[in-house]
Amino acid sequence: MKDAIDALGRLDGEARLVAGGTALVAMIRLGLVKPDRLVSLHRVPALNRIAVEAGSLVLGAMATHADIERSRVVRDGWPLLAEATHRVATPAIRASGTIGGNLAYAEAASDPAPALLCLDAEVRIAGPARERVVPLARFFRGFYEAALEPGEIVTAVRIPPAPAGARGGYVKYTSRSAEDKPLVGVAALVALDAVGRCSEARIAIGGAAPTPIRAAGAERALRGEALTDAAVRAAAEAAAGEADPLSDLMGSASYRREMVRVWVRRLLMTLRDGTK
Amino acid sequence: MTLAFTLNGQPCATEAPDHWTVLDLLRDGLGLMGTKYGCGEGVCGTCTVLADGRPIRACLVLAAHVRDRALVTVEGLERDGRLDPLQIAFAERGAAQCGYCTPGIMLAAKALLLENPAPTEHEVREALSGNLCRCTGYTKIVEAVLAVAGTR
Repeated sequence: MKDAIDALGRLDGEARLVAGGTALVAMIRLGLVKPDRLVSLHRVPALNRIAVEAGSLVLGAMATHADIERSRVVRDGWPLLAEATHRVATPAIRASGTIGGNLAYAEAASDPAPALLCLDAEVRIAGPARERVVPLARFFRGFYEAALEPGEIVTAVRIPPAPAGARGGYVKYTSRSAEDKPLVGVAALVALDAVGRCSEARIAIGGAAPTPIRAAGAERALRGEALTDAAVRAAAEAAAGEADPLSDLMGSASYRREMVRVWVRRLLMTLRDGTK
Repeated sequence: MTLAFTLNGQPCATEAPDHWTVLDLLRDGLGLMGTKYGCGEGVCGTCTVLADGRPIRACLVLAAHVRDRALVTVEGLERDGRLDPLQIAFAERGAAQCGYCTPGIMLAAKALLLENPAPTEHEVREALSGNLCRCTGYTKIVEAVLAVAGTR
């Protein structure tokens, strides 16, 4: 890792980190970036590990989506993450693309990011000066912009245990073809108390703003409430209000906002009715 | 850079420019033309090959990243002069029209069958979800993969 940090920090031209290459190589081919040097993380030891440390799941930055979706540890303990990871693009992209690369790319319409936001994940970062840990919610700084300083490298993602008894789900809505990135993707994690009220309600959305976001207003609308039709509609309404979508070839901002309302509502009703 | 890896079951050592992708390496470096160049940006799937049994996009993976790995291309499906059961099933069912997507589709199917020898139709369709065919539709292709799965 030290060699990679040193190579990244050398001053002879622009260097870019490459993990799976599914985003970067495509950008190079499209002429969007023209790095002088690529620094690959492929041979940094143990960077693709998937392990449980003190009850938390730790994913090395080079763990691929294919590794994560198949991992017994992930499927048993963090099924929301396994589900969202399984929805990334296509099998061949999942076999190359990595979790560290996905997050560092800071794609607003990432599939794993909403699940990881719901799970209160943290990003571990190494750099020339020090190592640090950033909550994922503060890691996404802007449109395709992660909170990485020059020379810094994402090394791992740490995911604490999900709340006991919580049920979670991820829905991905694509307006064109199924292997596309989501127009909107919604992850939710809810836990109900003995009388059926939400003791925990976490909702995160991809494709709804310049970065993946937690929908704090929607969460407030549910906390302490039973998942009645009215409460679910109020949460969906709040989420649509919190969305700050962009228009692009996939859909207009107003259509995206409407789809946030629809898919937050559908996901919460599915979680309530146990049909998932 | 110097690269050593396994190609279709045989050791392969070669030189390649640092910036090459696996697709550049296969077609321009090694003269293996079975792997097709389609969109060049990871969407169409016709350049799909196997790396350690999993499907990858040859157009998006850097050649440097296949070091010490085992690659299989469509040229490697045949064994000892005998076609792979997938190749026979595709031919028998006419699961191709222009054929440009066929190498990638057969390798995506091969990856599925290596991991899951008895897939459902849904699993076959999911495994082929990243491989576009613009001629035939997918009915014959899915039937051919299911036929191979049934004989295993």
